[in-house]
Amino acid sequence: MLKQFYENMKSALEAQYKERPRAFLPVNIHLASTLLDAYREDARVVWASFYSFPMELIAAFDVAPFDYEIATNLLPMMDADGCVNIMSRAEEEGYSTDICSFHRLAMGCQLLGYMPKADLLLSSSYFCDGKAKLNQIIANYYGKESITLDVPNRIDKESIAYVSRQLQGIAGRLEKVAGHKLDHDRLRECIRAFNRARSAYGRLAEVQKMKPFPWNGALAVNMSIFGNLIAGKPTQERLYQDLVDECSAKLAGGRLTPEKYRVLWLAWFPEQPTNINEIFKKSGVSIVMGELERIFWDEIDEKNPWEGMALWCLKNPYVGPIEQRMAGIMQMVDEYDVDGVVHFSADACRHSCAAHRMIADELQKKNVPFIVLEGDMSDKRKYSEERSRLLLESFIDVMSGRKKEIKYSRLAGN
Amino acid sequence: MRNAVRKIGYFCSLVPEEIIMAAGLQPVRISGQAESTSAADGYLYHNLCPYIKNVMSGGLEGGLKGLDGVVFARSCDGMRRMYDAWKTYVNGGFSYMLEVPRNNDEDAVQYYTTQLREFARSLEHACGGKISTAALRKSIRKLNKSRHLLRAIYFFQQTTPLPFKGSHLFKLGLTVFSEDKNEAEKKLRDHHRKSWSVEPRKPNGRKARILISGNVMDRPDLFEIVEAAGAEVPAADLCTDLRYFNRFVDEDITDPYLALARAYLGEPHCSRTASARERAEEIRKLTQTYNIDGVLLTSVKFCDQHLYDAPFIMRDLAEAEIPAIFLENDYTFTSRSQIATRVEGFIETLEGRRS
Repeated sequence: MLKQFYENMKSALEAQYKERPRAFLPVNIHLASTLLDAYREDARVVWASFYSFPMELIAAFDVAPFDYEIATNLLPMMDADGCVNIMSRAEEEGYSTDICSFHRLAMGCQLLGYMPKADLLLSSSYFCDGKAKLNQIIANYYGKESITLDVPNRIDKESIAYVSRQLQGIAGRLEKVAGHKLDHDRLRECIRAFNRARSAYGRLAEVQKMKPFPWNGALAVNMSIFGNLIAGKPTQERLYQDLVDECSAKLAGGRLTPEKYRVLWLAWFPEQPTNINEIFKKSGVSIVMGELERIFWDEIDEKNPWEGMALWCLKNPYVGPIEQRMAGIMQMVDEYDVDGVVHFSADACRHSCAAHRMIADELQKKNVPFIVLEGDMSDKRKYSEERSRLLLESFIDVMSGRKKEIKYSRLAGN
Repeated sequence: MRNAVRKIGYFCSLVPEEIIMAAGLQPVRISGQAESTSAADGYLYHNLCPYIKNVMSGGLEGGLKGLDGVVFARSCDGMRRMYDAWKTYVNGGFSYMLEVPRNNDEDAVQYYTTQLREFARSLEHACGGKISTAALRKSIRKLNKSRHLLRAIYFFQQTTPLPFKGSHLFKLGLTVFSEDKNEAEKKLRDHHRKSWSVEPRKPNGRKARILISGNVMDRPDLFEIVEAAGAEVPAADLCTDLRYFNRFVDEDITDPYLALARAYLGEPHCSRTASARERAEEIRKLTQTYNIDGVLLTSVKFCDQHLYDAPFIMRDLAEAEIPAIFLENDYTFTSRSQIATRVEGFIETLEGRRS
């Protein structure tokens, strides 16, 4: 079923691209192709967290990467019933509705036999407790090893060395699965490709500062999650550059819809169909940046890739004390000249939700409106369209009031 | 006014009390004393572990003022976020996040050793005084002795009928976490003596023996519910019970920090470090050791580590034909009657099975 879904998705996207070649479509085509590779009979499949594991390391091996969260959670988008029946299968098994719907959906797919095989399962300790746990549990179904890359909460000499050593150990496991030794030249080439893609991603982030915002903010947020699946491959740079070029052309063409409000989006954007885009579009709201889109890492030194990849993990805004995350948020508020900040709070996403109060207090000091929009990434039973409408429309009113205040204040010469 | 004995609170049984004691301070495991978490509701998300919200409420309401500092452990996502909120809104002096590795291989042990040294340095800096190797060795010996006594007391819990009620021993364990260690040791010695001399009660028909297995528990409610329903609890596989004292720190290793790292990352573990399979194996082993009739698996709500493992463990126990029930709790057992109804039903089933 899952395989069929991605086959259909791929051919539909290819047809769309042929008809109207938009720059974002190849990203999704690559996503579908990569996930389908994992179903090949001869594939050596490594399950990994695309967004929290240094995928450029995996790119240096002849293996097919697969991420069960991303693979299964596009399903509700295409199913009128929101794949509740699949989640229910996991719930029947005893998985509580208090745990992440991403994981209930993935477990449901596992129990229903939709997943490809796994030869090795990798996850990280920081994204998140639940994912690392489910990886371990699913590993039992295949009798394979599950490794959690343990990323400490602080950056210092010891933590960098600790994460580097673990990555080297994981490379050893990947050698066994791939059936070949790590080719250090190939790894260096993957690192160079990753660095070039970083530069292109930086150019995209610059274009997103333009007014009006020239792209689709929800897609941009989601791309920050699954765009990493092709990290370490030359395609990544090209896809990002195509997006930059397309956005630049739109800006130069001057045919973009004027925007009234610019919003920074924190945490995830739901994969299931919601009314968020419709509400925002009606009121001229653009999501101009997502918290997870920020380039928080430095270029990786190809001569010292282990340390560079370790730092990529350690500098993630969801690792470390809240100051690390907060600094990034405040930087984006200024750089993207936003009128408000939305925190999408999936109930079970404890590590992102637990910081609401601190974020609210910091934004209040800057007089930037902030709202917590509760919902769920995949489970339609936990998302209320009416509640979201009420909250978002009130939020838009607050942003409007603030804009007027600023305008009058300027007119008054304050 | 400062306490005569300076106290340092800590949150997780992976924090080595030995280091705190070696600094001349009294370690106190922080339990949630608040009856309501409303004070924390404005600061932490509603879907966060009730233990975390309870202690945060205590901190906000000044209930932990007797402590000179607080030590957190990187135990879970919730604890990491509480540390942030604590620093921002409670600000009760010294607060420290101890980096406890998620894994327990040799690499993790080496890393944890460096972190324990760093913790000791920070404690020295914050509280004054030097942590000497001799003092650390002394505190290791002292706690080894307490843990040994607890293990010895629990050894007799393998018999039928039990020398001590499970609820009684659970409360005794809690005093070991929070009291002066010398006083606690006296109590343990006293109990150890009694466990040798207790006249076996006349078996009035053998009672069903229940193993309670879960995460953090600071109140005896569940033990009392089981006992009121006519069963007994020989042992409890909890962070605040067996997992605390089934640990021995090697006194002969040259580097005491390495010895501590090895012991604390060694077995047994809660679901935070152990896999579901390891947890299931540990529970099965305990059912044999303590001659258990049924397992009461429990977890505080919203504890992902345990909630994810629960279905796997329940299936494993079913395959091993060990009766088990899974119950979530809200840490303060506000729904005690509902829990009692389910526990009573479970025990009736066990009785039926035994007859």
